[in-house]
Amino acid sequence: MVSAEEVARIIEAYPADRRFALAAMQDMQNEFNYVPEEGLEMLAEHLGCPIAQLFAMATFYKALSLTPKGKHIIKICNGTACHIRGAMNLVTGVKRELNIEPGETTEDGLFSVEIVNCVGSCALAPVMLVDGIYHNKLRVEQVPGIIDSYRAKDGEQHD
Amino acid sequence: MTKRTEKILVCCGTGCIANGALDVAAAIEAEVAARNLDVEVSVDVVRTGCSGECEQGPVVRLMPRDTMYYRVKESDASAIIDSLEGDPVEKLLLKKDGMQVEHMDENPFYALQHKVVLKDVGIIDPLSLDDYIAHGGYEGLKRALEMTPEHIIDEVDKSGLRGKGGAGFPTGRKWRTAAGYDVFPKYIVCNGDEGDPGAFMDGSTMEGSPHAVIEGMIIGALAIGAEEGILYIRDEYALARDHIQKAIDSAYEAGILGDSILGTSHKLHLSIVRGGGAFVCGESTALMASIEGRVGEPRAKYIRSVQRGLFDHPTVLNNVETLASIPTILRDGSEEYAKLGTENSKGTKVFAMVGKVKHTGLVEVPMGTTLRTLIYDIGGGIIDDRPFKAIQTGGPSGGCIPESLLDLPVDFDTLTEHGAMMGSGGMIVMDDRSCMVEVARYYVDFLCEESCGKCTPCREGLRQMRAILTDICEGRGQEGDIELLERICHTMEDASLCALGRTAANPVLTTIKFFRDEYEAHIKEHRCPAGVCAELTQFVIDAAACTGCGMCMRACPADAISGEKKQAHTIDPAKCIACGSCREACHFSAVLTEGRSA
Amino acid sequence: MSELVKEQIKVLIDGKECYCEKGEYLYDVAKRNDIFIPVLCRSDAFEDHRACCRVCIVEVETRGKSKVVTSCVYPIEEECTVYTQSEKIKEERAVVMALLAHRAPDSDVIGGMAEGMGGTEGFARLTPLEAGKCILCGLCVQACDSLGTGAISTVLRGTEKRVDTPYSNPSKACIGCLSCANVCPTGEIVFEENEKTRTIWKREFELVYCEECGALMGTKEMLERAAAETGVETPKVCDACRKKAMADEMMHTYRFV
Repeated sequence: MVSAEEVARIIEAYPADRRFALAAMQDMQNEFNYVPEEGLEMLAEHLGCPIAQLFAMATFYKALSLTPKGKHIIKICNGTACHIRGAMNLVTGVKRELNIEPGETTEDGLFSVEIVNCVGSCALAPVMLVDGIYHNKLRVEQVPGIIDSYRAKDGEQHD
Repeated sequence: MTKRTEKILVCCGTGCIANGALDVAAAIEAEVAARNLDVEVSVDVVRTGCSGECEQGPVVRLMPRDTMYYRVKESDASAIIDSLEGDPVEKLLLKKDGMQVEHMDENPFYALQHKVVLKDVGIIDPLSLDDYIAHGGYEGLKRALEMTPEHIIDEVDKSGLRGKGGAGFPTGRKWRTAAGYDVFPKYIVCNGDEGDPGAFMDGSTMEGSPHAVIEGMIIGALAIGAEEGILYIRDEYALARDHIQKAIDSAYEAGILGDSILGTSHKLHLSIVRGGGAFVCGESTALMASIEGRVGEPRAKYIRSVQRGLFDHPTVLNNVETLASIPTILRDGSEEYAKLGTENSKGTKVFAMVGKVKHTGLVEVPMGTTLRTLIYDIGGGIIDDRPFKAIQTGGPSGGCIPESLLDLPVDFDTLTEHGAMMGSGGMIVMDDRSCMVEVARYYVDFLCEESCGKCTPCREGLRQMRAILTDICEGRGQEGDIELLERICHTMEDASLCALGRTAANPVLTTIKFFRDEYEAHIKEHRCPAGVCAELTQFVIDAAACTGCGMCMRACPADAISGEKKQAHTIDPAKCIACGSCREACHFSAVLTEGRSA
Repeated sequence: MSELVKEQIKVLIDGKECYCEKGEYLYDVAKRNDIFIPVLCRSDAFEDHRACCRVCIVEVETRGKSKVVTSCVYPIEEECTVYTQSEKIKEERAVVMALLAHRAPDSDVIGGMAEGMGGTEGFARLTPLEAGKCILCGLCVQACDSLGTGAISTVLRGTEKRVDTPYSNPSKACIGCLSCANVCPTGEIVFEENEKTRTIWKREFELVYCEECGALMGTKEMLERAAAETGVETPKVCDACRKKAMADEMMHTYRFV
């Protein structure tokens, strides 16, 4: 849950200057996994600018999202090197395993899938990241195993 | 008695970390700690930046004896420590022509390189200011502090340095223009928003030698009279951001940054702005809009940033690689730098060479090196010695270069004259299994998402091109499509608002120019010659060539392949999704492609 | 006198000699000389131009070098020759209009312009959007921002970009002034109005009429905003009636009758 105090703490770390709008929203993204509406409202108040202009930024920049992301974030790199080495096959594999499209989150809130641009690991293409951990030179048949390993980890925690 | 110092350099660039370098470093450190090493030997495990050959990582180098180990695992730690005093660990050495190669320079991947920007990357500990200084760091700044701004600019001018982000604008001239405006404050901005899909040299430079970037910025600030500088660093580059921040902190502590640079009256304050995740922010006015806290849309003005840039003040924007070249130029003199390169493109260029080439990674070569040298001598040729088809340079703003142009020298102007461009330094090698129409669609797709969407030609032109290219890839191409694509491309080149839109047509135009036959095969014969476009491709197994090894069966994600051991396998066309995994898995070239009968 | 003449720059536009000051925008110079250049995203109401429709492109030749520029923001710095209807410009404008026509398939304005500029023939292959009249000129956002309201903005980016209120919700900031709808060149922004209310951007506004003459004064929010900004009470009568009342009172006071 997003508390007003937490939002205030993030916002007030910055001077009331428009140039810190993006940074404040990125901090919210890191804290809450998304930029909440009340966060935008409070930031607009703090900066004295229309909320519409912050909303424009929040939808423009890919680092920000307006809906909460899943617990595990799967990023499939579709940089050129990964693309020509079969990144889209990985996307198909992940779709098949999770039944969601890129950009969506599974119903149980466990996984979000994103297609991302070059993650700077072209030499090891194709690359998939789960929660920031690299899986290199990945073949599509390895995808179910990786996803299962995260499911299993969460299963253990629930037991 | 002084101890002899042995250094063990563990490459901890993004690529090597992905291959487990951090665990290797930890294992070596643990091994050093556990052993009571000979009193005369002390060991530094230095977590360096990218040493370049990511594909062979993690890379470990012993200094000063210069032994390079490749594909090191945690379990090799003990053997590596043993080798400090004895013979090198054979299995970790590079094998070349049946011989083991111990030293870096004997590896052709490195032998033909000439490092200026990357000279310390992979050698020094990026988090140690002392290490940077011990390797000649901040000498250039000291020289600059003894010079007038005009002299600094003259020096940069004479070096022939041009902006390495792709545009190639002479750096000295940019600085001189900014220096000429008496409007304060002025700003120096470092563009670290490297967004080309397939390029990672700026990230590696920031990770591996952050002080070089900072030193370059300080010298630039002295030259133009700026007292505030901003590094706009791509959101995804967490490690680069972390290293730059730590380098800034240590530079402040050492009195290199702040209100008195090295005891002089010069000031400079540096800070980092995290990129928002938008490719268009590589465009200068969009980047500045982003720093100002607005949507990253380029502005439509015929007025240059050196006059009115960030917050409407004179601003110099340089890219990471350009700035990291500055310290060497000031330290060793412009003449040394200008000895490298060609007539109009001086110095070196870093390339991220990836794709279907044997040795992938970062390479830095003098301007004017040919593509053939890059691909075949340094890169070792195409994987599995398959036929070369194209090299894509410059990302979404660049183009695809065919075999016939491989002997051209790579510099700012030559490739451009031939309808391609050098670009920022991404180089993706493609073989006969890459479909050029699909590659064009890939870039257009990328740009549809990454365009800011402000002006008509870029936004609507890309949308229409995506629709047409998708149709061609899926077998719905029509007569006249190529000509229509060209009309849209030419309008985008002339009428788009910013450089992103004006160059967005390049991938389409160059693939049409050099690979028109592939477009025609898709449109007229409903055939994808590379066997990539799934709707136009059917995979079959050549029973005569198949050994029944089962590799394809295991690789198939759709369970479409069946067959007994040591018997020819078959693909069930009803189940096949034409992903091509079987073709990649087969060692006997037994998986063939056919056009799909409509 | 010589001072003034010296600063004048000669510009040859489509063969006609025109003069302007250094830094003047090419579009303005052409317009002053009755040379028509089509444009969609530019309004005299604003000093800044977004220059995003790219319909006003023209060819400028300076010292033998020719380039395509956007006339609405191109400052004239030196003597030059301008072609507003060269073959290159006609071709590129045709493509731009064709692209816009397929973006705004329901707009007669755009459709008509496209037809007039060669943006229909040869473009049947293009894919139109399902519906809509918006060409993303951004004038609505510019109008809303310039009035200090800031109720709408562009959202998303690339081919997905559109104009909307935050979260597509009825805007809290909107005052129902209709500036956005009035400035829209294609009539994309619609509003509904009956005797009592006006609805725009999904929000319903109460209409206020003059207590004297019964003329429509605007929405309650518009009047409250204006009053708050000037520090007066929310008016009950329209401007005309207020002035008339004031004049009556003056006349009465000074007994001019």
